[in-house]
Order: sequence, then C-alpha cells, then structure tokens
Amino acid sequence: MDKNTQTEIFFGPNHPGVPGNYGINYEFEGDTVTSARANAGHLHRGFEKLMEERIWIKNTALVPRICVEEPDINEMVYAMGFEAIGEIEVPRRADYIRSIILELARIQGHIFSIGGNAAGIGQYTVMHWGTLTRDYLLDIFEEITGARVYHIYIRPGGVRQDIEDETLDKILDLMDELENERFPDLQKALFENPNAQKRWQGKAVITKEEAIEMGATGPVLRANGVPHDLRKMMPYAAYDDVEFEVPTGENGDAWDRIKIARDDMLQSIKIIRQLINKIPDGPVQADLGNGLKYKIPKGDAYVKIESKRGEYGYYMVSDGSLKPYRVHVRGASTPLGLYGVREFLPGTRIADVPVWAKSLGICPPEFDR
Amino acid sequence: MRNEKDLLQLMNAHFEPLKLEIKRKQNVSVEFKKEELIQALSFLKSHSYRHLSTISCVDWPEEGEFELVYHLFSYDDLINISLKTRIKRDPGIFQTAKEIWPVAEFYERDIHDFFGVKFKGNDNLEELILENWQEIPPMRKDFDTRKFVNDKYEWRDYNGQKHTD
Repeated sequence: MDKNTQTEIFFGPNHPGVPGNYGINYEFEGDTVTSARANAGHLHRGFEKLMEERIWIKNTALVPRICVEEPDINEMVYAMGFEAIGEIEVPRRADYIRSIILELARIQGHIFSIGGNAAGIGQYTVMHWGTLTRDYLLDIFEEITGARVYHIYIRPGGVRQDIEDETLDKILDLMDELENERFPDLQKALFENPNAQKRWQGKAVITKEEAIEMGATGPVLRANGVPHDLRKMMPYAAYDDVEFEVPTGENGDAWDRIKIARDDMLQSIKIIRQLINKIPDGPVQADLGNGLKYKIPKGDAYVKIESKRGEYGYYMVSDGSLKPYRVHVRGASTPLGLYGVREFLPGTRIADVPVWAKSLGICPPEFDR
Repeated sequence: MRNEKDLLQLMNAHFEPLKLEIKRKQNVSVEFKKEELIQALSFLKSHSYRHLSTISCVDWPEEGEFELVYHLFSYDDLINISLKTRIKRDPGIFQTAKEIWPVAEFYERDIHDFFGVKFKGNDNLEELILENWQEIPPMRKDFDTRKFVNDKYEWRDYNGQKHTD
C-alpha cells in the first residue's frame, strides 16, 4: 500500500461519533478504513479492585456505575451472584419487582440508544425525543427508588423497598402513552424515514457465525434470525411467569439491530403489563440479618442475564469473609469493542463508522472496568 | 440435548478432571489439570459449546497459584460450563486459547495487564488498558493500593496545603 495516500486518525475519546470515552486509532486510504485499533483505558476506574476492598452491601452502590446505560442490570447480576453462592431464596414479590425494574430499564436503555444511533446519522430530532421519553421513565424510577439514573435498588436478597400500587398504575399509564403516542412518532420520524433506511440497511453486517465465534449476543446475534435470549434460555427473576416473543432480524445489519431495539421495547411493555397484573403480595426482602455483616460461604458462581445488548455476566468468588474475594465483570460489548473493532471495521467508510460503533451498542466502561 | 449429568459424564469419559460439580440448574463447573485444559476447550467447542463468555483470573497467593476460569455456553444444551485450572504464580505462564477463539486474545491481554500472566502463543501481549505501568500487576492480591496512592500522589487538604499520610 502506498504510504502517501494513507492517513492516520485518532478518533475519540471526545467525539460525537464515538460511543463513550474511548478512542480508536484508524488508518484510512481515501475515506475507507484500512486498519483500526481500539484504544481503551481512558475510563478505567478499578471497579474490580475496589469491590475487593468493600463489604458485600457497599458494593451494591458501586456496581450500577459500571455502565451508565445499564445500572439496574449490574445491580441484578451482582445480587444474583451473591444469592447463588449463598443459596438464598428471594421472595416472589421481589422477583416480580426486579423484572419490572429490569424491563423499565430495558426500555429506557433502548430509547436512549435509538436516539444515539439516530444522532450518529444526523437525525437529531429523534435523539432529543429519545432523551425526553427516557426522562419519563426516569421519573418513574425516581418515584420507586428515589434516584434517577443509579438506583441502588436491587440488592442481595430482594429489593430495597416495596412499590406502591399507585406507582404501578402510573407505570401502566406510561406504558399506554409510550405505545400510543411516543412510539408511533418514533416510527414515522425514524423507521419510515428513507434517510435512516439508506444509512442503516446493509451496513455494519455481522453474520451469525461471526457473532457466535466472537461471543457477541443480544441484538447483534438476533439480527441474524436466531432468537437467543437468556430470559428464555436461563429464566431468572419472574421471566418464567410471563409470555413474550424474542424479536429477530434477517440480515444482521445495523437496520435490523435498531428494529430489534424497537420491537424489544414493545415486548417489554407486554411483559410489564403481565407482571403488574399478576404481582403477588408478600415481603420484598429475604431476611439476611445485619447488612453490615453479610457473609456467605466459600464458593464461586458465574451468573449472567440478558441486558439490552446481550449477555452481562459476573464471575464472583467468596472466601467466606465480609468482602468479596474476586468479582469479574463480563460486559455485553467487550468482544465487540476490542476484537470487533479490529476485525470488522476495515473496509468501512469514515461516515459509516458511527453507524457501526453505535448500532453495536459499544459501552467502553465495560472493558474499562 | 444433554443435561448437566450427561455433560459431566462426557467430560469424565474423555478427560481426567480433578473435580466435577453441578453448581445449580444449567450451571456446571469442572476443574482440570493444566495440561488438559486447552484440549478440553477445543473438545467442548466441537461439541456445541461455541460461546466463550469470558476468561476470569483469580489470585491465590497463599497457595502460590493463579486460577484461570473459562466460561463456555452451548446454545443447544443451554448449559453454562466453567472450566477451571490452576497454574503456578511464579512464573505464571499458560497456553493461549487464541487458536480456538480468536477473541480470547483480548481476554488474555486483559489478564496479562492486571495479573501479569503470560500466554504462550499469544505474541501480542502489549498493554491493553494500562499505560506505562511500572508496579506489580494491580489486580494481584499483594498489590497495596494505599501504598501506591501515597507514593504516587500527594495529599492536599481543602486549602491546597500539602500534608503527608
């Protein structure tokens, strides 16, 4: 290759086309990427080391900070790991509340990332609408948990406090509003928009084989027509009590992934309605004694759940003391953000790089943890 | 479609695992000798365990060992299997799984950054997250966070006065 036509560009960490605080070192030939290398580490906060220094309960305030888009997912996996090692039974009502929270979190995450995707192709109106719609969901979270983004609500043994019936009614009202008012607008502005179709269809394709080989899950895998979803494959919380479909695509491209995000939200609404109709009465927290003295036996567990971008897993080791011995976080986008960038970006044109990075849902804090 | 017991039988028939355990529903953990682990990985991959979730490393300084844990999942059996092995802390060298899953290169680089484990066959072990790191690898249990902070940074109170401790 001719050295004179090659351009090196460092893209990020502060750039609207980059999904968060990380950079990518590119080499371009004309406007086509010839090589790409993920430059991670800008956001490393040493979560795993910090967790080893803190008692079990304190970490519930730390884990949601690992990924801004998915705080509740992190709380849930951490609690599940604790319960798996300690063989703790969670009250059924708590399971239901957890599922409601996780589905609300899925909707807010998807609407946020659809907005981000739209911004990546210049559709800023949709981004503002996305942020606005997300705010309605954050209002609900504030009412339930007292916090908007980091809720510290799901904790070992159950949830921090009960949900009032009035709040459940409010959630149902909001679901109606989303379905009847917000989503039709979104449909018109984005999914029936020829601009969006042109920018997303056939772009950033990852085939089924490639996805499985590198360990990509969630919409990236499902865009190839395989309905793999941990909520169905390894049911947790109250997902074995509800009926829903797993949306899939056909072509494995950005367009299919974003359509899956939209369909996923509709399924979440369906799930939330069923859960609220069926929610049993009872306690919301198993009795584990003094929170400052939580102890679980020696052991280890790998737990995982379906985040909006696929498998989110924690490998947790306990040595029987007051603090976790080791917690290892497996974020949904780790393989895509590090390996995928190098393997799949070459050949892409510079204008499509944001389409690629954002439609795959890369969240840098997951490998900078 | 195998269940948890079939999977453990399959492991027993082909390898000499040190410890087999059904952790809970759809979760299995198997401990191998370090010579057998890479073989077991490629064997499982050809038996539908094609999804590599991640590779975890745990430091056990009292035993003088690192524990490496490979988490695999099968979309046919719907079982999660954690394959464990222990290697000596010194010199801390193991085989790469890069030939089986190319993505393993990055998980290994991460472990190399934070635990200092070297993977034979993975020749690209340059720093992934850390930059110009001079101390011992930070996720090791004997890395003293407090001492590192005190040596590296100076403490200041609200008035901007320096003080030590």
